[in-house]
Amino acid sequence: MRITGLFGVSAQFRGRVEALREPLYRLAYSWCHDAGLADDLVQETLLRALDRAGQLNDPQRLKSWLCAILANCLKDHFRRARPLEPLDEDMAAHGETPEGASASNQIAARVRAEIERLPLGQRQAVTLVDLEGFSYAEVAEILEVPVGTVMSRLCRAREALRTRLIEFAGEQNSKIRSIR
Amino acid sequence: MSHDEEVSQEMQNAFVDGQLDAADWTALVQRMGSDDVLRRRVCELRTLKDMTRSAYSGVHPGLAAPAPHRVRWARVAAVALVFALAGWLAHDALAPGRILAELRGVAADRILVHIASSRGEVVDTALQEVEDYLRDARAAGRQVKVEIVANNSGMDILRTDTSAYAARLERLRAAYPNLTYIACNQTADRLREKGATVSLLPGVHVAPTALDEIVKRMQEGWVYIRA
Repeated sequence: MRITGLFGVSAQFRGRVEALREPLYRLAYSWCHDAGLADDLVQETLLRALDRAGQLNDPQRLKSWLCAILANCLKDHFRRARPLEPLDEDMAAHGETPEGASASNQIAARVRAEIERLPLGQRQAVTLVDLEGFSYAEVAEILEVPVGTVMSRLCRAREALRTRLIEFAGEQNSKIRSIR
Repeated sequence: MSHDEEVSQEMQNAFVDGQLDAADWTALVQRMGSDDVLRRRVCELRTLKDMTRSAYSGVHPGLAAPAPHRVRWARVAAVALVFALAGWLAHDALAPGRILAELRGVAADRILVHIASSRGEVVDTALQEVEDYLRDARAAGRQVKVEIVANNSGMDILRTDTSAYAARLERLRAAYPNLTYIACNQTADRLREKGATVSLLPGVHVAPTALDEIVKRMQEGWVYIRA
């Protein structure tokens, strides 16, 4: 069902919101690595956005506004799921281990697995910057943290990824070359 | 940033993310020209950034098992191993949008103008400043050289099928033989990967990457100005 058929906001706004569904899903997936949950989060995000359309003062900021809603939806999900756990950047990651990555999508799966291992705050910072190209200031606004926190989270995330992935990328290149 | 000062990780990340201001960006590029370790570190960050993008490029709603982009992965892996040059950075680490300074006030006689955006105000300003600079230099009898290096969406101005400036660029080139246009081959490769046909305007030269050209020229003493 097209969500936008359900609401009374302007057709133009509905169209712009729905056009961002795919990047929102990609971002949600990169944060939770669960296709079903990502779908739910995006649905909830779009619903909230359409419900709160009047709160968006600057139409140019639609995407970052939606991402901020998505981040809050994820927070709410974790609060519901694990109400006693603190929600900060050091919150433990979960899910697939690198060893569990499928052979067919080995590199992508390995990268996603390593990103999934990052604490949530670092994962969000690195994916908002790398997948959606947000500036540090925009990420700070989306995640409601200072810009300095965004920078330090990015540094730690990339240092962890560098340690775990650069050598792996080189090994994959050796395999690619040996196949040729 | 002094030459002896260590470039922080925050600064390196900000560089690859296009978050530095023009002065810091230029200082860091200059530094990379002589600092192999820094160049390698920055290349690694660029590689990681691209790996992250590629890892989620096949993620779509309703797609349970995202598929990686095979062509892109081969390239990412190759670059990760080679770390060949800072040129790896060029394709989108160069944040667009800064307005060109008053070029006519620059005393140097060899100037590289870097255009990384196709935005009208950026290109118009850059071309106007270049033309004014060349005209004033000729009137003053100064022997100057200007190179316009384009990458990212700025490449559009040098492509036959996308340029809104073809006639203007040709007129400038005919009037000023000391003006050269350089296209970034890395950007061209990325466009071809997406299925585009890249045909360049007459007289446009090609550099392996925009950043290679910028670093080379800066090492030769050229003044770098980003549009």
